Amino acid sequence: MEQALQVIFSATFIAAVLRVTTPILLPALGGLVAELGGVANIALEGIMLTAACAGVLISVATQSEWLGLLAGVAMGVLMALVLAFFHLNLKADVILAAIAINILASGSTIFVVFLLTGDKGSTSALVSKQMPFVEIPLIRDIPLLGPIVSGQNLLTYVAFIAVALVAVFLYRTRAGIHLRAVGENPEAARSVGINVRAQQYLALALSGLLAALGGVYLSMGYVKFFARDMTAGRGFIALAAIFLGGKTPLGTMIAALVFGAAEALSVQLGNLRVPNQLVQMIPYVATLVALVVYALAQRQRAIARQRKFRQAQAT
Amino acid sequence: MQATLPTAPAFDRAAERARVQQERRRSAMIDFSVTLGTIALALLVGFLVMLIVGKDPLLAYSSLLSGPLSRSNRTGRWIEDATTLIILGLSVSIPFRARQFSLGAQGQMFIAAMIAAVVAIYLPMPPVVAVLLPLAAAMVVGFLVGLLPGLMKAYLNANEIVSTLMLNAVIVLLYDFLLTNVFTPPGSQSLRSELIQPNSMLLRLTAIFGVNLGRANLAVLFVAILVIAVWALLNRTPFGYEIRTIGANEKFARYGGINTRRTIALSFAIGGAIAAVAGAHLVLGVHQRLIPGIAAGLGFEGIVVALLARNNPLFIPITGVFYSYLRVGGDIMEQEAAVGAEIVQVIQAVIILLLTAQVLVDYVKARSRRARSVSCAA
Repeated sequence: MEQALQVIFSATFIAAVLRVTTPILLPALGGLVAELGGVANIALEGIMLTAACAGVLISVATQSEWLGLLAGVAMGVLMALVLAFFHLNLKADVILAAIAINILASGSTIFVVFLLTGDKGSTSALVSKQMPFVEIPLIRDIPLLGPIVSGQNLLTYVAFIAVALVAVFLYRTRAGIHLRAVGENPEAARSVGINVRAQQYLALALSGLLAALGGVYLSMGYVKFFARDMTAGRGFIALAAIFLGGKTPLGTMIAALVFGAAEALSVQLGNLRVPNQLVQMIPYVATLVALVVYALAQRQRAIARQRKFRQAQAT
Repeated sequence: MQATLPTAPAFDRAAERARVQQERRRSAMIDFSVTLGTIALALLVGFLVMLIVGKDPLLAYSSLLSGPLSRSNRTGRWIEDATTLIILGLSVSIPFRARQFSLGAQGQMFIAAMIAAVVAIYLPMPPVVAVLLPLAAAMVVGFLVGLLPGLMKAYLNANEIVSTLMLNAVIVLLYDFLLTNVFTPPGSQSLRSELIQPNSMLLRLTAIFGVNLGRANLAVLFVAILVIAVWALLNRTPFGYEIRTIGANEKFARYGGINTRRTIALSFAIGGAIAAVAGAHLVLGVHQRLIPGIAAGLGFEGIVVALLARNNPLFIPITGVFYSYLRVGGDIMEQEAAVGAEIVQVIQAVIILLLTAQVLVDYVKARSRRARSVSCAA
C-alpha cells in the first residue's frame, strides 16, 4: 500500500497522467463543441482511429511528422464532414451514422494496414515518425514541477492550450455564441437569421479536428506505430468526460484528468502485480460511476431550481 | 354539371381492408427493394475499393459470394453464424423499436456465455434440464445486465451509448480475468475451460443429417421460437404497443399515460435476455467450453441485422441469414484471395449509412409512387 501511495505522489506519475489524459482531453473538447452545437458526436472513436492511421502512413511515406500530422487531421475532419453530410443533408440518424463511421474506421484502417504490411496487428514493421517532445528551458530545471511540465509531447501542450482556445471560441467569439445558440434552440437561432446547418457543419468539423489531433497523438506521440483499434474506447470515455464536466471546457478538462489519473493508476498498479484485467477496468468503472454521479447532480440541481421557483412564487 | 350531391358510396368493409392491405404490401415491397438496392450498392462500393487497391476483385467476389456454399462445413459455419446473428438482431430490435440505442449486446453475450458455462460444467443435471437450466440462468443474468443501463437511462437520463459501452468493456475484462484465473484448469496448456457436461451439449446438425455441417447445432430451433416470441411481444401485447409508441414519440407516450420509464428500462432488459440466448448458444452449441474472446467482434453485427430488417422481427431471419453469408464469405475470401475480411466491415458501414439516410430512402419512395401514378394515368 505504501508503495502504491509513493507511486501516486511522484512527479513521474503526474507526468504520466498528463500523457494519458491527452488522447482523452482532445476528443472530449471536440465532442464538447459538437454537443454544444446540438449534435452528439459518437464518431469521435472512429475519427481518432482514422487520423491515427493516416498520420502514421503518411509519415512513413514522406518521412515527415508534420505532413503526417496534416494528413491525420485532414482525414479526421473529412470523416467528421462525412458524418455531417449524412446527418445534416441526408437526414440520417446521427447516432446510427456515427456507429457506421466507427465501423468504417475500424474496418478500413485494418484493411489498409494489412494491404500495405501484410500484418493485421500493427504498423510496427514500418518506420514512422513521432511528434517532437518539448524541453522547456528554465522550467525544466525546477525541481518537481520541471519533470511534469517540461519534456511532454508537443500535442500534450496543444491539448491543454486547446482548453483555453475552445473556451474563448465558445464564449467570446461571435461564431461560438451562434454555435451555442443553435445547440440551445435551433428554431430560435434560425428565427434571428443564424444559418443552423452551417453552424452544425462548423461544430462537427471542429470536433473532427480536435479528435483527429488526439488520434495523431496516440500513434505519433504516445507510441510510434498504429495498431488495430488502438483507440480502445477513448472516444467514448471522452464522451463521458463531457457529461461529467458539466459541458464546459474547464469541467471537461478536469473530468479528462480524472479519467487520465485512473488509467495511469491502472498502469502503475499493473506493475505491482495486481491482476491486469481488474486494474484495466478502473477507467471504465470510473466512467460508469461518473455517469450516475453526474445524473444525480443534475437532478439535484433541477430540484433546487424548482424549489427556488416555488419560493419566488410564494412571496 | 350535376346538381345533385354525389351520394356517399356505401362503405365496403372488405374492399377497404383489401385496399389497406394492398397499400401495406406495396409499402413493404418498396422497403424491401430499397434494402436490396442498398446492399447491391454497398457491394459495388466494396468492388470498387478492391479495383482501386489493385486486388483481383472478380476472384475475391466470387469467393465472397459463393464461398459459404462451396463446402458443407462452410455451409455449417454459415448456419452457425446466422443462428447467432439472428438472435442478436432480435435482441437489438427491442430497445431500438423504443429508440433506445443500447449497444450492450456484446457484454451481455460474454457474461451469458460465462454463466451458461458455469452451470453446464459444475452442476450435474439430467438431459434436457442440462440444456434449459444453463440457458435460463444465462437469460436471467442477461436480463439484469441489460436492466442496469436501462434503469440508468430511464430514471437518471444517463447516456445509454456510453453506459452500455463502458459496461461491455468491464464485462469483457471480467470474463478474461475469470477465464485466466478461475475457469482454466491448473496445468492446462492453453487458456480455456473444461468441456461442458455432455448432457448440456446441443445436438449438432452433423449428427442428424450425416453431412459435415461443422458446429451448426439445434439452436436453430431457438431462432424459430424467438422470432415468433419477439414478433408477438412487439405486435400483440400491450407492452409491445408501449414500446412502439415510445419509439414513435416519447412525449406523446408519456402524455398518453404510458409508464415510459418502466417500459424503456424493460426494453433494455429484455434485449439483454435475448442477447444472452446468443451467448448461451456459443457455449452450449458452438464451442462447448469457454475460450478467450468467445463473442469478440459480434457487438455491432446485431445492429446491422436489425437495421436491414428495419427492426421488424419477421424480416430479421432473412437479413441475418444474408448478413452471416457475407461474413462467412468474407473469411473465405481472405483465405482464398488474400483480401482482408475487413472489407466486409466497410460494406457493412456503407449499408448502415445508406439505410439511415432518410432523404435517399424517401426519394426512392417518392419516385416509385410517382412512377405508379403515371402508369395509372396512362
